[in-house]
Amino acid sequence: MNKKGIKWLYQELPGLVARGVLNQETADKIQQYYGEIKSKSQTSVILITCGTIGALLIGLGIILLLAHNWEQFSRFTRAVLSFVPLIIGQGLALWVLMKRPQSNGFKEGAATFLSLMVGASIALISQTYNIPGDTGTFILTWMLLIFPLIYFMQASLPAVIYLIGITAWSGSRGQSPLEAVLFWPLAAVVVPHFIWALRREIYTIRTTLLSLVMIICVSCATGFSLVRAWPGFWVVLFPAIYAIFYYLGLRRFPGLTTGWQRPLRGIGGTGLFILTLMFTYRYIWEGIRSGYHFLSIDEGAPAFSFLPAQAIAFMLMVLAALFFYDAAKRKDLAFIFFGGLPLVAILVYALRDNPTVVPLLIFNAYLFVLSVSRIILGLRNNSLSVINAGMLMLAALILVRLFDSDIGFILKGLAFIILGAGFLAVNVSLVRRMGGAK
Amino acid sequence: MRNKLIIITFICLVFVQIAIPFSMIMKREFVLRSGAEFKFKTAPVDPYDAFRGRYVALRLEGDEVTVSRGLRLHSGQNVYALISADEQGYANLTSVIDRKPANEPYIQAKVRYLSGDKAKLDLGIDRYYMEEKSAPKAERVFRQQSRGDKQGAYLSVKIKGGFPVIQALYVGGKRIEDAVRAIN
Repeated sequence: MNKKGIKWLYQELPGLVARGVLNQETADKIQQYYGEIKSKSQTSVILITCGTIGALLIGLGIILLLAHNWEQFSRFTRAVLSFVPLIIGQGLALWVLMKRPQSNGFKEGAATFLSLMVGASIALISQTYNIPGDTGTFILTWMLLIFPLIYFMQASLPAVIYLIGITAWSGSRGQSPLEAVLFWPLAAVVVPHFIWALRREIYTIRTTLLSLVMIICVSCATGFSLVRAWPGFWVVLFPAIYAIFYYLGLRRFPGLTTGWQRPLRGIGGTGLFILTLMFTYRYIWEGIRSGYHFLSIDEGAPAFSFLPAQAIAFMLMVLAALFFYDAAKRKDLAFIFFGGLPLVAILVYALRDNPTVVPLLIFNAYLFVLSVSRIILGLRNNSLSVINAGMLMLAALILVRLFDSDIGFILKGLAFIILGAGFLAVNVSLVRRMGGAK
Repeated sequence: MRNKLIIITFICLVFVQIAIPFSMIMKREFVLRSGAEFKFKTAPVDPYDAFRGRYVALRLEGDEVTVSRGLRLHSGQNVYALISADEQGYANLTSVIDRKPANEPYIQAKVRYLSGDKAKLDLGIDRYYMEEKSAPKAERVFRQQSRGDKQGAYLSVKIKGGFPVIQALYVGGKRIEDAVRAIN
C-alpha cells in the first residue's frame, strides 16, 4: 500500500468514526495495522532536493566565474587561486562528515559541490598553463578524483556526474577501442551505490534520476565502445542491454510504487519493443548483410584491440541469458517474452547470410507473439494497462506493415478505423467485465 | 569509531584531490623556469570551451613533418619531433623519430593523422586561454597585423624533456594581451 493512500485513510478515520461507519476500536486497529507514516522522509526528500540543486547552481556559478579568465592576476596568484574553490568544497564536506553525518541533504549537497569544485580547480589550472584541448583527459582526471565521494558521502548526484563524465570520456576515445572500453570497469565502480540506492525507500527521487542517467549513459557507451566488437553486432547488444534494464526494473524494491519511479522497467520494456519493431524492417537486415557497421571501424586499429570489447559484449550477453533463465525458472511471463529478444536476435545474427526474408519473418512473428502474450497476460491479471500495451504493440505492427505494402488509401483508412473501433470495444467490454467482477 | 575511519580516509582523499592539481602546476612551473625557449610561428582563431573559458586556438606553422623513409607510424602513436631554430630565431620541426633523441631539442607528440609521407602532429600547444572579451579581439588584432605585412604572430614556448609549456603569445612583437588592450 502506498503512503499517500494510508495518509488519506488516516484523514478519513475521524469522520468515519463520527458518522458511525466505524467504531473507535476498529479505527485504532486500522491505525495499528498500518503503523505510523514517516512524515520525516518528506522533509528529508525536500532537503536533499533543494540542497542538491542549490549546491549544483552555486558550483556551476563558480566554474563560470573562473571561466572569465582574470588575466590581471599573475600566474602565481592564479595558481594559488586554483585551490581556493577546492579547499572550500573539501572543508564543507569534512564539516558535514564530522558534524552532520546523519543528514542526507547535507551530504548530498556538499558532495555535489565538492565534485564541481574539483572540476573548477583543474579547469583553472588548464587555463593558467594553457593545457591543450584534450577534453577527454581533463574529464577523466576530474572523474577519478571525485568518484570516492559517492561512497564517503553516500551521495547520488556525484554518481550522476561521474557517469556522465566517463560516458563523455568514452565518446572522446571512440576511435581507440582499447581505451573506450574502459567505460565498463569505470562504470562498475558505481554499481554498489546503485544497488544501495535502489534498496533505500526514501531516496526514490534521486534513485529515479540515477537510474535514468544510468540507462542513457550505458546506452551511449555501448554505442561508443562495444558495437564495433563484431560488425553488425549491435542487433544483439542493444536487445541484451535493454533486457537487462527491463529485468532489473521488474524486481520489487520497497517504496517504488508508481511507474515513473521505475524508469528501468518503463524504458527497458519500451526499448525492447522499439528494437523489435525496427527489426521487422528490411533495411536493417540488408545493412547488416552488406557489411554496414553502424559506426565505421577504424582502419588502422589492429584486430586484437577489439578483444576487450568482445569480452564485455560476451559478458553482457551471458548476463541477459542468465536473467532469462532465472525468469524462465520462476515462470515469470512478464519478462520471458520481452527478455527473449536478445536470444532471438543472436539466432538471427548467426543466420544473417540467409536472405533477408528469414529475419523479417522471424521478427514479425515474434512481435505478434509478444503483443498477444501481453494481451493474454493482462486479461489474466485483470490489468487494463497491460492489455492496452499489448494491443498498442499489435496495432503498431499491423500499421507499419500496412504502410510498407502497396495497399490503397481506402483500405489503409478502413484498417485504421477497424483498429480504433477494436480498441474502444475491447476497453468498454473489459471495463464492464471488471466492474461486474467487483 | 566507524565515523572516525571515514573521516581519516576522507582526509586522504582530500590530499589526493590537492596533490593531483598541485603536481599539474609544479610540472609546468618547472618547465617554465628551467626549460629552453622556442618561438613557433602561429595563427590564432577564436573558439570557446564551456568548462575552461575562452581561448584562441593556435594553428602552428609547420606542424606537418616529413616522416623519414623506413619509419612506419600509425595515428595516435607517440613520437618525438626534433626542433631546430632558423636565422630569425623561429623554431622548425625538422623530422619525426620514434625513439627519444639523445642531445637535440625535441617535443614529445602524438601523430594526429598521416597523409602521404607527411605526419600531422599533435604537439600539445594548441590553445591559448584569454579573458572572455579579449579572445575574439585577439583574432582581429592578428588579422590587422598580417595584412600590413608586418611581423606575424608567434608563440613563445619553454621546453624541457620534450614537454612544452606555453609562455606567451606575441602579435607584432607585443604580447597579445597588450596588443588587445591597445585597440580598445
